[in-house]
Amino acid sequence: MIYLHKPSKIVVFALSSFLIAGMGAYKIANAAGENTGTQTAKPVTDCYESREDYTTVSRTENAVPEYGFPSIKCSKTTGAVLWYGDPFEGTVPMGEMPEIKDATHGNFANAVVKPREPHLMYFNMGPDGCKTCHDGKTVPYPKDKKPRLLNMHQDIVANSLELQHGRGAVWCLDCHSATNRNKLINRRGGEISFNQPQRICGECHGEKYIDWRAGVHGKRVGAWTSHEGKRRWWVCTECHNPHTVQKNRFNPVRPEPAPPLPRGMKNANHERNGAE
Amino acid sequence: MKKAWSFAKDTSLYAVKGGSIFYAWILFLFFFILVGSYTSYRQFTEGLILTGATDQITLEMFFANFVFTAHVAAAAVLVVAPGYFYHRKDMKELAVIGEIVAMVFVATGITFILYHMGRPDRLLHMVPGIGFMNFPNSMLVYDTIVLNVYLYLNLFGVLYILYNKYVGTFDAKHLARWFTPIVYLAIAWGPLIHIVTAFVLASNARMESWATAVLPFGFLSMAGASGPSLIVVIFLLARKYSKLEVTDSVIDLLTTIIAWSLGLLMLVFAAEMFSVLYSSTEHADSLKYNMFGRNGLNMYVPWFWGIIGTLIGCFIALLFPRIRRSYDFWLPIVCFLVFFGVLVEKPMVLVFPAFSPSPLGEYTEYHVTVIEFFNVLFVWAMAFLWLTLIVKGAIGILTGEVRYHKSLSHTVEQS
Amino acid sequence: MSEDKNVKMEESADLNEGRREFLKYVCTSSAAALVVAPESSGAVVEAANSADADVTVAEFFQGHFVLMSDEEKKQAIARLEKRYTAKYAKKTTVSDVAAPDGVLFGYALDMSKCIGCRRCVHACVEENNQSREGSVIQWIQVMKIPKGNISFSADELEKGYPEKSKFGDYGVQVGGNAYHPAGLSTEGAQSYYQDETVPDKDFFYLPVQCQQCEKPPCVKACPVRATFRDHAGVVLIDYNWCIGCRMCQLACPYQARRFNWGEPNLPAEDMNPKTHYFGNRPRMRGVMEKCTFCVQRTREGRSPACLEACPVGARKFGNLLDPESDVRKVLATKRVFRFKEEFGTYPKFFYYIG
Repeated sequence: MIYLHKPSKIVVFALSSFLIAGMGAYKIANAAGENTGTQTAKPVTDCYESREDYTTVSRTENAVPEYGFPSIKCSKTTGAVLWYGDPFEGTVPMGEMPEIKDATHGNFANAVVKPREPHLMYFNMGPDGCKTCHDGKTVPYPKDKKPRLLNMHQDIVANSLELQHGRGAVWCLDCHSATNRNKLINRRGGEISFNQPQRICGECHGEKYIDWRAGVHGKRVGAWTSHEGKRRWWVCTECHNPHTVQKNRFNPVRPEPAPPLPRGMKNANHERNGAE
Repeated sequence: MKKAWSFAKDTSLYAVKGGSIFYAWILFLFFFILVGSYTSYRQFTEGLILTGATDQITLEMFFANFVFTAHVAAAAVLVVAPGYFYHRKDMKELAVIGEIVAMVFVATGITFILYHMGRPDRLLHMVPGIGFMNFPNSMLVYDTIVLNVYLYLNLFGVLYILYNKYVGTFDAKHLARWFTPIVYLAIAWGPLIHIVTAFVLASNARMESWATAVLPFGFLSMAGASGPSLIVVIFLLARKYSKLEVTDSVIDLLTTIIAWSLGLLMLVFAAEMFSVLYSSTEHADSLKYNMFGRNGLNMYVPWFWGIIGTLIGCFIALLFPRIRRSYDFWLPIVCFLVFFGVLVEKPMVLVFPAFSPSPLGEYTEYHVTVIEFFNVLFVWAMAFLWLTLIVKGAIGILTGEVRYHKSLSHTVEQS
Repeated sequence: MSEDKNVKMEESADLNEGRREFLKYVCTSSAAALVVAPESSGAVVEAANSADADVTVAEFFQGHFVLMSDEEKKQAIARLEKRYTAKYAKKTTVSDVAAPDGVLFGYALDMSKCIGCRRCVHACVEENNQSREGSVIQWIQVMKIPKGNISFSADELEKGYPEKSKFGDYGVQVGGNAYHPAGLSTEGAQSYYQDETVPDKDFFYLPVQCQQCEKPPCVKACPVRATFRDHAGVVLIDYNWCIGCRMCQLACPYQARRFNWGEPNLPAEDMNPKTHYFGNRPRMRGVMEKCTFCVQRTREGRSPACLEACPVGARKFGNLLDPESDVRKVLATKRVFRFKEEFGTYPKFFYYIG
C-alpha cells in the first residue's frame, strides 16, 4: 500500500496545523480589532466657508426633507464647509446690478447671495447694527477721509494708519460711509449695501470685476447651466478680507487631512526629500 | 469508449503510485495546498485588500507570476519544435512532455488571473453571448483568447498522442493528416501567447518602462531560458527515476537553448538600459529607481542586482562544457537558478518598480502579505502537483509500462 | 472608433434581444451555474440566510445596464433601492436619469488659485459614498509641486562644474545651481503633505481627478465594456458589470481610478441617499470606481460637489457646447492647458492660469 516517510509526515502535519492555528488566531485578533472603535462623533455645526473671519454658517438638520439632508456638512478637523445639502439656505437675490454692454456681461437673473447685512450687529448691539454707536452723537461723524489713528476696531485693522489695502491710497472712509455705517459708499458717494461689495471693489479692480461678472473669477454654487437655474454667487469679501488683502490675497487655511499612505508604506519622507 | 475509460483509469493509477521521494514531494505540495486553501478562502471572501496591492501598484504577485507562467508555457515549444521541424528522433518522443508543461502552465496562468480579478464570479461577463468582449480594443481580450486556445490545443495534442500510444495505434512517422497542422499551430501559438502577454503590458502608455518595443523580445528570451530549465530538470529526474529514455543530446540541445536565450536576454537588457539611461529622460525614472533606489526607498535594489548577477553568472557558467555536462550536480543547480531568477525577476524587476513613479509622481514600495504569498504558493503547488501527476502518467505510457492490452493488476505489480 | 461604439451601446439596446433571452434562460433554469466561483456561491449562500436572497441572485444575473430594456432597468433600480434602503436604514433613491442632450461636460481648474486645502477631496467623499476607514477611497488627489525658487543661492554657482581629472578638464557638468525640479512636473510632487496651513508660498497645487478624456485609454482597455463614455462625454462604470481586472487602472495616465480592494466601509449616517446608478450608489468589493463629475447632480443641473466645496472658486464646470457657460468663457479668455497632453487622451478637464 501507500508507503509514507513517517518523520516527514509528522513534520508536515505539525507545520501545517501550527500555521493554520496561527492564521486562525490572527483572524480572530483582527476581528476583535474591527469591533472596537468607530463611535460616531457629533457633527460640527458652526462652520466657515471661504474666510474664517467672515460670517459663520450653521448646520440645519433635515434642511432637504426629501433626502434628509442637512443644510451643510462640515469638516471634523477644520470646521470648513465641505458639502451643501441646500446651497441656497439663507440666500437673497443679489439685487440690482449695473449693466455692462460687452461680451462678458453677467447673467444676474437667477443670482442669489448670502446677505452680509444681518451679521453687522457688532457686539450684538441691536437691530440698528453699526448705527447703534455711529449715530453722529455717541460717536461723532468724522470731518474728512484723512487717515488717523483709531482706538477701536483693532480686531479688523490692527493699525489704522497701516491699512493693508491700496498701498496707502485708500482708507476706511473711501469705502465705508461716513454718515451711515450700515452702508458702503462708491466713489460718487452713492450708498451701496454690504451685500453687494462688488459694486465698490469693481470700481478699482475693473479687470477682476469683469471676470467675476462673466463667471470666470470667483465662486458660484448651484446650477451649472448658464441661463436658467439658480446660482449662489460669492461676493468679493467672502473670499478676500479687504482690510488685509495686501498681505494675503486669501488668508491661509488649515488643510484637510492627507490621504492614507499606500498599504505597507510607513511614511512619506521620501516625498519631502524629493527636492534635494 | 471502453478504451478511453481504461486509458483514464490506468494512467491515473500509474500516476499516483511511486516511491518514497515521490510521496514526500506530493506531501510537501499538499502542505502548501492545505494552507493555501485557507488563505484563498480568506482572499475570496474578504477581497484583494489582503494582498499588498494598492491603487498605486495595482498588479500583485499573481499577475507577476502569470507573466512567468506564460514564459514557461511558451517555451515548451522549444521541446516540440526540434522534433517536428528538424526531425530529431531523440526529441520527437519527448515532445509530448513539452506539451504537457505548456498545458499545465497555461492553466496555472489562467488560475493566477482568476486570483488577480476582483470579481472572479463575474467571469461570465467575458463570455460572448452571456456578456461580451471588448473586441478588438482590449488587449486582455486577445490574451484571454490566445491563452484558452493554447490550452485546448495542447490539451488536445497531449490527449491524442498519449491515447494513441496507449492503445498502440500511434505511428510517429505517419501522423494523421490533420494532426500535423495542429502541432504546427500549437508551436506557432506558443510565442504568440507570449507576445500578446507582452502587449498587455506594453499597451499601457503610462507605464513608461513597459512601453518599449523590446518587451516581447525580452519576454521571449526569458521564456527560452526559464522554460527549458524546468524541462531539463524534469528530464534529468525522469531518466534517473524512470525508464524514460532521454539521451544526452536532448539535454545538451536544451542547455544550448538556455545559454543563448540568456545571451539574448543580456543584449535586450543592455539595449533597454542604454536607450533609457543615456538620455535619462522620464522614461528612465523607474529603471533608476530599480537600480539605485530613491530618497531612502531602496527595497528593489538588492533584488535587481541579485537577479542580474544570477542571470549573467548562469550565462557564463553555461559556456563551460564541464558545467553543461555535469548532469548530476552543476546543471540542475544552474537550471534552478535560471528558473528561480526569472521567476523572481517578474515581480521585483518587471512589475513592481514599473509603478514608481506613478503618473502623479509617487514612489511606492510593494509589501507582499502573508496571505498573498501563500496564495501564490498554493497555485504553484497545484501546478506542480498536476505537472508531476501528468508527466508521470505520460512517462508510463511513453515507456510502455501503461498499455491497453495489459490488465490493470499487471501494471500495479510492475511498478 | 471604440468610442463611437460605446456611445452607440446606449442606443442599441434592442439589438441584444437574444442575449437577454439567454440570460433569462440562465436565471430561471438552474442553480448549477452558481458554483462558477467560490465567491459567488458564498455570496448567494450568505444572502439566502437573509430575506433578500432573490434580490442578490437577480443582481448576480443582471446584464449590462445600458443594454437593458426599460422594464429591466426599472426592476434593477427597484432591487437596488430596496437593498440600500434596508442596509443603510434611510430612504435611498437610485436614479437612472439619462445625460441631457446637447451637452458636453467640461471642467476647468485655476492652478494659480488652488491653495491645496483638500476640501474638494473630502467633499467628494461626502457626496459620492466612498469607502471611509479601512479601505479609504478618494477620487481626487492633490499634488503639491515646488515652484522652483526654493534653493537658488550664490554659493552653488560652481557646483558640479567639471573638475580636473586625468582625462583632462572637459568632463560633463552634472548639477549646479538650478538642478532642481520646477514647474509642472510630477518630479518632486508631494501628495501626502500635512502642513499647518496652506498655501505654502514655495509650492503650487494641482488637484487631479478623472479627466473625462475624449479618447479614454481606460475604455479601450476594459475587456467587458463595463466602462464607457456617455453622450455627455463623461466616462462611467457599471459597477455591477465590472469584473475587477484593473486593466483600466493600468491604462489611466492620470491615476484617476480607484479600486475597492476590500468591502467598502460606508457608515450609514454618512451615506448620501440621493444616488445614481452610474454615480454614487454604494459600491461593492472588487470593482473599479472613479470621478463621474457627480453624475447624480450634473445630469439634473447642479454643479459637482468638489466645485461647491472649493473655497477659492478655482473650479469651473459647465457645458462645452454653450459659449455662455463658465468653462467656455475660461477657455476663451484664459491660458489653458491639458494635463499630460502628450498621452493624446484629449481630456475635458482643463487647467488654466487665471
